[in-house]
Amino acid sequence: MKLQFDRGTLLLTGPPRDLNLAEAPGVLWDPRVHAHRAPASRYPALKRWLLEGGTQFQDLSPPLRPMQEAWSDVELRPYQEAALSAWELGHRRGVVALPTGSGKTRLALAAMGRTGLSALCLVPTRVLLDQWLREIRVVYRGAVGCYGDGVRQRAPLTVATFESAYRHMDQLGDRFELLIVDEVHHFGGGLRDEALEMTVAKARLGLTATPPRDAGAAACLAELVGPTVFELAVADLAGGFLASFDAITLYLDLTPEERSAYTSLAAVFNGVYADFRRLAPAAGWADFTHHSARTVEGRRALSAWRQMRRLLGFTHGKRRALASLLERHWHSRMLIFTADNETAYAIAREHLVMPLTCDIGRQERDEVLGRFRRGDIRTLVSARVLNEGLDVPDADVAVVVGGALGEREHVQRVGRLLRPGEGKRAGVYELVTRNTIEVGQARRRRQGLVARPSARL
Amino acid sequence: MLPDHLLGYSVAGAVVVPHFLGEHDHPWLRSLLEEHERFIGRPQRELDARLREPLPCESPPGKRRLATQVLAKLRTSLRQTPVPPRRARALVFGEAARKLAPPEIVLSTVAASLGVTPEILHDSLFGDLPGERLVGAPAEPLSALELALRSNLALIQALLCRATTVRIEVEGNTRILVRHAKWRGLICTVADRAGPTDATLELSGPFALFRHTRLYGRALGELVPLLAWCPRFRLWADCVVHGRRLTLQLATGDPVFPASAPRRYDSHLEERFAREFRRLAPEWDVIREPEPLTASGTLIFPDFALQHRSDAARRWFLEIVGFWTPDYVARKLALYRSARLSNLILCIDEGRNCAEADVPPEALIVRFRRRVDATAVLRVVQSTPRPPGRYA
Repeated sequence: MKLQFDRGTLLLTGPPRDLNLAEAPGVLWDPRVHAHRAPASRYPALKRWLLEGGTQFQDLSPPLRPMQEAWSDVELRPYQEAALSAWELGHRRGVVALPTGSGKTRLALAAMGRTGLSALCLVPTRVLLDQWLREIRVVYRGAVGCYGDGVRQRAPLTVATFESAYRHMDQLGDRFELLIVDEVHHFGGGLRDEALEMTVAKARLGLTATPPRDAGAAACLAELVGPTVFELAVADLAGGFLASFDAITLYLDLTPEERSAYTSLAAVFNGVYADFRRLAPAAGWADFTHHSARTVEGRRALSAWRQMRRLLGFTHGKRRALASLLERHWHSRMLIFTADNETAYAIAREHLVMPLTCDIGRQERDEVLGRFRRGDIRTLVSARVLNEGLDVPDADVAVVVGGALGEREHVQRVGRLLRPGEGKRAGVYELVTRNTIEVGQARRRRQGLVARPSARL
Repeated sequence: MLPDHLLGYSVAGAVVVPHFLGEHDHPWLRSLLEEHERFIGRPQRELDARLREPLPCESPPGKRRLATQVLAKLRTSLRQTPVPPRRARALVFGEAARKLAPPEIVLSTVAASLGVTPEILHDSLFGDLPGERLVGAPAEPLSALELALRSNLALIQALLCRATTVRIEVEGNTRILVRHAKWRGLICTVADRAGPTDATLELSGPFALFRHTRLYGRALGELVPLLAWCPRFRLWADCVVHGRRLTLQLATGDPVFPASAPRRYDSHLEERFAREFRRLAPEWDVIREPEPLTASGTLIFPDFALQHRSDAARRWFLEIVGFWTPDYVARKLALYRSARLSNLILCIDEGRNCAEADVPPEALIVRFRRRVDATAVLRVVQSTPRPPGRYA
């Protein structure tokens, strides 16, 4: 019998007559090709099943491994060592949840170096692709492959964007033994999960600052990568391995004109939304938008919602508060976070602050981060680009003008300030408009910063 | 790919019915194109703001959003600012960080150093952003009809993006579909022929065996413009739209934008042979891409059929085995062996080094170097009185 990798799946050809492959893990009969087939991710279980049954088979050809002598030592902090041990104890499968800035990439480098396995690292964005390539090249002297940003080069250590992995895993899936997934919380929801199912890699390490709290997504992620094997929150490391910080919420008022407009828009939205909730108490926001798009009243409500968000994005009160904060912290390195690009550009024009958005090209973005590192620019404003993963040089003040993505986004934003420094104490200002939907949003997003009951090991 | 909110459809039973743009939509499509024309050379954000307002004639909001999106993808945009925006940003934000001064002073200082006014500098600052770029004309002039057809194609492709399996009954030009499916890594199986159709194809990806997936949706969607070149077809697709499993149906005559015409010949070699054979043997028809033949559950597409005009029984299939990889040639010959055709002529490139054992024993062989000798082929068909058909 022969095991063959076929475009993200395993094809089992020429089985012995007495072997009942219907009992093999994950295997189904494929009438299209008259052979048995299994998802590539079932390779370890399938191989074990065949070996235990004493079946002789031609295995997949083993992938090339990185040169062991090309690795430099990767030193870890005690909590990183503990996380790596927890992963090893979990049979090299599982998710490690550590706050932004606590060195998740370093942990992954140590996992790659110490296991010596061929590894594929998946990252969500092209910016992170560059960052991971740089980090790996610091500790590994051999060639490093890259899939993404128009490049397709494979090597025993390869970094790929989620998008490229999704598109090319049918060719890459049998070439790696270790799969590392940065910002792993993007998986488990069904979208692009195939990228993880189409690889034979037995060892899997997921990294995140914000593991999914939803039971369904967590269970799915446990199936794809493994359970959460180690977890620490910002509060667990702040003041030690991460800088301490003060969270300051500034409650601001709307002007009478803004309040009047807000009240009218809220009335339009609330009426439709309340009716919908009465009819479908268990339905979510996506159901509401889908339902609303089909009626005139619904569309009006959605339009009112968008206008409310736009109105709250950069109110008169926020303008004044931001101007005052910029002046007060003129000598500090400051990051300003907004809910959308439109607000980011409005701030950029009004206060002459460099925006970092998806519209700013990669070269310029790298150049800007370099200037920020050197202190030639001391303030950046961004909606999403600075949220996740990007290695932002040391900053000590953050102003959250608005946010759209809740707890996860907030944890990641605050994490941007927590790189430790001697005597450093960072400041996070949240600008929240009184008696609006922002009050509840701000309360919810802060929940992600509290300490975990205990670090899980 | 179109997002969910741009999918215009209704559901009848378990069938998803796409809301195609038709002739009755042409008046507002013309208005849309005129509005677009009016804004050429102006910033994109101004056009976006205009398009948020109603058009001069009534237009269904969903269809209008779809057409606007399709139009946006077809047009070009550009911006030439007096100061390159990236340079303007580097100078202005650098200066703003250097000294604590009101923005107007910073702009004036930098503008003076560049020899432009502060207003020009301010305009240049974000001149390269999508909203600030100038609206350009589409690469080709666009009619309301074409915009409607392109919008329909985008809609069907977006629905197929949510499909795992597609079944197509097709008559004529099957080869382009099968070839495209194989090139995109799809599994293409051939069901028994039904009625006059050339074949019934089932197309899906390897992973589709395990669960519904969108992995192959893009590849399946790419088949749609090719279908326009098949004289008859019917397509069924299993889609999951907003969590509901629905069937999408498409058939000959549905108004979708076609792909550009497929090339008649795959190579100069084939083209030259057809031309020379026609000139040499006017009593024979040279049929390019005749009906496909089934073998081992798949289809074979001979390059030509040679049909005598006055004797229907004298019909030969001709395949040119040219410059391809050894694996490809081996697979092709294996398929022809399993088809057991008695009326097959194989023209084999001598450079392929095909062993006699690899060649189907029933086939007549014409070896060639650089060009297929039409005279040699004619000699074979005229001198071989073999009854056409397949061996049992």
